[in-house]
Formats: sequence, structure tokens, C-alpha cells
Amino acid sequence: MNSLQGWEALASELEALFRRGVHETLEEERFTRIALRVFGHQYRGCSAYRAYCQARSKTPVDVQRWQDVPMVPTRGFKDVELLSADRAEAVFLTSGTSRGPEARGRHFVPRLSLYRSAALTSFAAHVLPEGRAAAMLSLVPSPRIQPRSSLSAMVEMVAQDLVEEAVWLGDGEPGPDPDLLEAAADRLAAETRPVLMVGTAFAFVHLLDALSARGSSVRLPGSARIMETGGFKGRSRTVSRRELYDALEERLGVPPTRIVNEYGMTELLSQLYEPILTEGREGSGWHVAPPWLRVRALDPSTLAPLESGTPGLLAFFDLANAGSVAHVLTEDVGVVTGGRVRLQGRSAGAEPRGCSLAAEELLLAAEGST
Amino acid sequence: MTGSPFDAWYVPGWVEPPAGPDRLQGPFPLRLPGGDAEWVRKLVIGLHERREALLRRPVVSIVSALGSVGARLLDPEDLLRAEALDLLPGSAGLSAPMAAAVLDGMASDWTTDRLTGLLTAEFPDPDVLDAFARGRHGRLRAMSPGVCVQIVAGSVPGVGVTALVRSLLTKAPTLLKPGRGDVVLPVLFARALMESDPDLGKAVAVVYWPRAQAELEAAALRGAGVVVAYGGDEAVRSVRDRTPVSVQFVPYHHRVSFGVVGRDALAPARIHRTASEAAGAVAFFDQRGCVSPHVLYVEEGGHHDAEDFGRALASALAILESNLPGGRLESGEGARLQQERGSAELRAAAGLGVVVFHGGAASWTVVCDPEADFEPLCTGRFVRLRSVSDVRQVPSLVSPLAGHLQTAGVAGCGGRLTGLAEELARVGVTRVAALPDVPFPPPWWHHDGSGPLTSLVRWVDLAG
Repeated sequence: MNSLQGWEALASELEALFRRGVHETLEEERFTRIALRVFGHQYRGCSAYRAYCQARSKTPVDVQRWQDVPMVPTRGFKDVELLSADRAEAVFLTSGTSRGPEARGRHFVPRLSLYRSAALTSFAAHVLPEGRAAAMLSLVPSPRIQPRSSLSAMVEMVAQDLVEEAVWLGDGEPGPDPDLLEAAADRLAAETRPVLMVGTAFAFVHLLDALSARGSSVRLPGSARIMETGGFKGRSRTVSRRELYDALEERLGVPPTRIVNEYGMTELLSQLYEPILTEGREGSGWHVAPPWLRVRALDPSTLAPLESGTPGLLAFFDLANAGSVAHVLTEDVGVVTGGRVRLQGRSAGAEPRGCSLAAEELLLAAEGST
Repeated sequence: MTGSPFDAWYVPGWVEPPAGPDRLQGPFPLRLPGGDAEWVRKLVIGLHERREALLRRPVVSIVSALGSVGARLLDPEDLLRAEALDLLPGSAGLSAPMAAAVLDGMASDWTTDRLTGLLTAEFPDPDVLDAFARGRHGRLRAMSPGVCVQIVAGSVPGVGVTALVRSLLTKAPTLLKPGRGDVVLPVLFARALMESDPDLGKAVAVVYWPRAQAELEAAALRGAGVVVAYGGDEAVRSVRDRTPVSVQFVPYHHRVSFGVVGRDALAPARIHRTASEAAGAVAFFDQRGCVSPHVLYVEEGGHHDAEDFGRALASALAILESNLPGGRLESGEGARLQQERGSAELRAAAGLGVVVFHGGAASWTVVCDPEADFEPLCTGRFVRLRSVSDVRQVPSLVSPLAGHLQTAGVAGCGGRLTGLAEELARVGVTRVAALPDVPFPPPWWHHDGSGPLTSLVRWVDLAG
């Protein structure tokens, strides 16, 4: 079998695995077997990653456990082309930083159907457990506006496969359109099938500001639920989650028990969700990974695995990343227990250490934007 | 490290705080004073009442009172030093040997001799602090405007005491809010001062509050005659915005430093000494100081190139790791370090001309990167080396961060030093120092470009 056929076979197998759903158990031995195959493929397919592994003396011959597969930091997606196939069907860019577009990370995706099957399976299970939605109101701009956004691509996939109708509220300038929202809410008022609203936390804040400025609120039908994602990294205005959820209930009529937080990043093609719709308040504050995504918390200095319940840097082995690099070390801090994550963000409440400059601040200053 | 929480305040007896149950958890738990804005207001009023006594006191007596406490912190037999050494590692996240080295470096500037040096460097005639004194054009007086409120963010131990000493030398009763990782030294210093010189001790209050308790800060700022803010740009801006326009304000916002290694310093007989000096500059304070270099510019054309120097620097950092081990990294610092180190290794693997040396579980990392931009990527002994064909290229390479530049640590520039310093000064550098001197500027340095004492006073002219 040549490497192209090998990749196609592996990808098809993975797609079939993802489609079996999030409740399919994938015991450690089987996960390891697949993960090592994915590693072997990536080692052969990506020369930079191969050299990186060789420098660590961790080649497929040396590695027996998925935990020992060399991890690539999320930052690595900015510097190096991490593509484990001949060509990419899509390239997703991480959101811009103050360093400008040249410093955005690039996730090369050789086979979009792999992303589609992983993303939609998790989305359906956690956001639409009752089945297809009558309508989706999206604050996430469509791929027409943001062709390089993995989030836009995912929402578009949801629009195609999981809902009857999509209303793109975030496509206009300069932000979400409250008129469109009010019209859609009126039209859907009597809808008994699920109605879905999706957006980043930041976009919801803008929408709420717009509604509050005109003193109006909207009543989404009782079947409505919200998927919100992303924090406020790099944004000038931040709002606590509690404030945001209270305002969403007040202005949109969707209670916190029907707001699902998604935790994802461009560098991972799988997502984690707060299981609020399936487990109720019990699930609040935790994010659940699908069976094909393994997560660990690691010691920030030594990268040694930490005991369950000890906060550390989150590292993921994502089989959906088969076409790029599967083992990814993030900057996020959290606690991992039984495959679930409780995010802590950046060392909560900590002051910046020392009088040495905080990089982001400096970069902003360098651009004259502060 | 102690098990029970450390009391994060020291105030004169007449304003003891309620000391509520508030605690800050973490590797070094703190007990918070529990006072409210009204308590802070009264505290500042009380400090203000001490102003008269300070103004009446000759400045030389203040120097010796402060100097005697500084000397205790250097005295190996003194219990005050022992207590500081016991608490500092946990409080500042430094290893015990590093904490001791930092205390030695800092406290050696708090002795009577050095403080006298500071005073006379700033005021050639220190009598202007006691009364009107004759100047070149009539009589002059340097008057502290009132209570000095100093808000410090950050973890570098010693910054708080240095701040305190400066304002007391100008006869300003002082309220200091130290950084989270620098609570111990100011509290111990204030306590010792109260024991040895109650008159002066009563003019000092040290109170830590978390950033979230903005109302305490606001109450302090309302009563201030002069305000000093140390910290990130955002933190300093926030203090500045809440300081009344008529109140003197001294900002020490974030700063970043770098090194320049000229070709003479790369000679076979010298390269290892240069590397060891550079390693010290990077490693002190685990690179959290504003003086800590983040990028070293290495000149081509010497006997050794940047990669050779990188290798020598890596060995020097490895040796330092056993003598002055790195301390605890916050999770955010660790996250950043792992990201930067891993991505540098990836770039090395991708054949982008990058070479990486690192200490594994130890944080020290040397990245030789021909493309290294000048930016501080992370703390914890992470340094990047960039080749330059001539040291004269350096000013333009660092100029994008003009408003934030601070120390240039130099080696091997020989007769070109003055010319280089001139160019560096033009882009905003405020200190050029030999590499071994980088971590501890002398007390009289022009901190971020201004006089450490003269910036705290108002000049008063008496004509006729």
C-alpha cells in the first residue's frame, strides 16, 4: 500500500469511528493502536515533524504509548507547515494576534470530511441531543465572510447537516444585526422543534450591547439553546461568564441551563462541550471530550503527567488531527478528571510576574495602538 | 516555607486593621488585613500627621536609621536576615540560593554608605531637604509634597523596600502596596524600622491588597501627595488615571532589556567569561526583572560565532542551575516557556537555521535564531541570540520598543562603547552597563531615566 492509499484508508476508518458517536467507548488499548498508526503516518508525512521526533529520539520504533508521541506546541502551528499529506483541502488560520497576520497559526486540513464527521458528531450529541433543529441563528460569520475560520467552517457544516434553516446574523458590518434577530425570533416564536443560536462570547456581548442600547429584548422559543464559545483573549472588553449568562437569559430568554459552552481551538479539529443539556447542572463547569480525543494535564515546568485533579497545562491527542499533528500541547490550564476538563484559564488571579514586560502589552505598544 | 499564612501588612499601632478572615491561597498563602476603604483613608490621614515630625528631622538621621535596618538584612548573625531568608523563596517563587543572592544584591544598596551616595548623587547639597539652602541662583528647598503612596505590582523581591527607602529619604510618610511576590521584605523592613526608630517607623505603612480591591487603592490615592506606580502598562495606566491631576505621579511601567556582545568578548580566552556573565544577567530574578535581558545580539567576525556563544551560554546556564537553581514557575510562565521552547525546536527541525539548547526540566533555554525579533517572549531564563554583522545594527533592531527600553548589557565593545551608547540613548535606552552589573543597578541610577529621589519632590525657589 503506498502512503496515499494508507492515508485514505486511515482517514476513512477514523471517519467511521467518529460517526459511531460520542458514547462509543474506545478503550485504551484500541486508542493506543490507532494513535500509533496516526503517529506513524504523521512521522512519514511531515518532514519537519519527523526531524523534530528524531531530535528527541522518539520515532515510531521507539514509541509504544500514545503519551510518548512527541507533542507540538500550539505555537508551532505559527512557524512550521504541519501537513502530513500531499495537499490540503483547507487551511484554517488561528485568530489574529497583535503580531499581525503573518504570525497567525495555520492548520492544514488534507481531508475536510474528517473534520466534518468529528465536529458534527460532538455538536449533535451536546447541542442538539433531541435531533435536528428547525433553525440556527448564527453570530459566527459564514465562511463567505471568514473563509479561513475553522469555527465558521464548523457552523456551516452544522447549517448543512443539522438544521433546516440558517440565519447568518454576523455577516453584516459592523456586527450582529439586532433587526434580523428580532425578525427571526418573531417568526420562530411558536416553533417547538429545537432552535439554536451560536456565537462567540464576544459576539454575544456585542449583540447584548446593541439590544440594551435600544432597550429591547427578544424572546426565543422555549426549545431554544445557545452554543457559545471562546473567551475574551486579546479583547478590550471582558465580561464574566456569569454576567454574560444572566444577560443572555434577560435579553434572549434562554436560561443558563440551556447554554452550552464549547471549548475548541483551530489547532484541534475535535471539540469539547459542557454537557449541560445532557447532564443538567451536574455537568456545569466541566468539558467532555469525545472518545477519540484524549486530554492530560501536565506539569508546566517538567511536562510530567499530573495526578487527576491537579491543575496543569492541557495536552491533547486528537485523532481528528490525523492530517496534521495529533499530539498538541496548549497554553491552557485546567484540571482533568476521568477524561473531563475543568478549565482554569491562565493562573487565575495571578499578577503578571515581575517588572519584565508582558509580551502582548509590548507588542501593542510597538504598534502604537495603546 | 512556613505553613501558616503570612500577614500581608505592617502598619503603625494606632491603625491596626480588623484582620478579618480573608486569605489568599497559593504556594505562599497570605492573610489580608481585612480593612475597608475607610480604614485606608484613616491610615493615610494618620500617616499625614507624621509629616511634621519627618520634616523637622535632619535627613542624615533618616539615612542612618534606614541604613541600620539594611545592614541587619546583610548580617549573617541577625535574626531579621534569617527570617527573610526563610520566607523569601516561598514568597517570591525563587530557589533558596537565588533568594539569598537577590537579598544580598538588593540589601547592599540599603546601607548607610550607599544611601548617602544616593542622597548626594541626587542632591549635591542634601541640606535642601532640611531647609532652604543657597543654590546657584538664590535659595532652594526640596519639599516632599505629602504622603507618598506607592503601588507595586510584580514579584521581584526588593523593589518594595527600595521604593520605601527612596520616599522616606525625601521625608514623605509612605503607604506601600507591595507586589504579591514582594510582600515579605517591606513588611519585615517596616517592622524592624519601628523597633529601632519608632519615630520613623510610625511614618510607614505596608499593606497588600489584591488588584480586585480597587476601592482600597482609590482611598489611598485620594490622600496622596505623590504617587508612584510600578507594574505593567495597564496597571500603571490605571493608577495614573485615578490619581488627581494636582498630585505628582511617577510611573515605572514595563521595561525590557537586552544584551550586546561585541566580537572582542568572543575571543577564545574570553568567551566563557562572557557567557558566564551573560548567564548571570539572564538568570537573576529568574528573568523577571526589568533589567533582565531577553535577547542578546552577538557580533559576527570574532573568533567564535553566535552558535558557539550559544553553546557556551548553555553550559554557563547549566552551571548556574546547580549554584542558583531556577525557582517555581507560575502555570502561565510555564505555558509560555513550553510553547516558545517547543516551537523553537520545531523551527530547528524544519531547517530554519535555529539552534536550541535547554535544560529539560530546568527552565533555562538558549535559542540561536537569525530572525529573532526583539520581544520578551517569556520569563524563567529563556534567552535568544541573534547575530549582527556589527554592534551598530543593534539600536535600530531594538527601536520598535523604544518607549519600553531599559538596560543594554554590554561586553566586548571596546572603544566603540561610547558611540554605541549614544545611539542606544537616541532610541530610548536609559542604562548601558557591563554584563556583570546588569542585575543590580546602583542606588543612584537614573531609574527609567529620572532621578529616583528628585522625581519625588517639589522644588521651591526663594528669591530675595
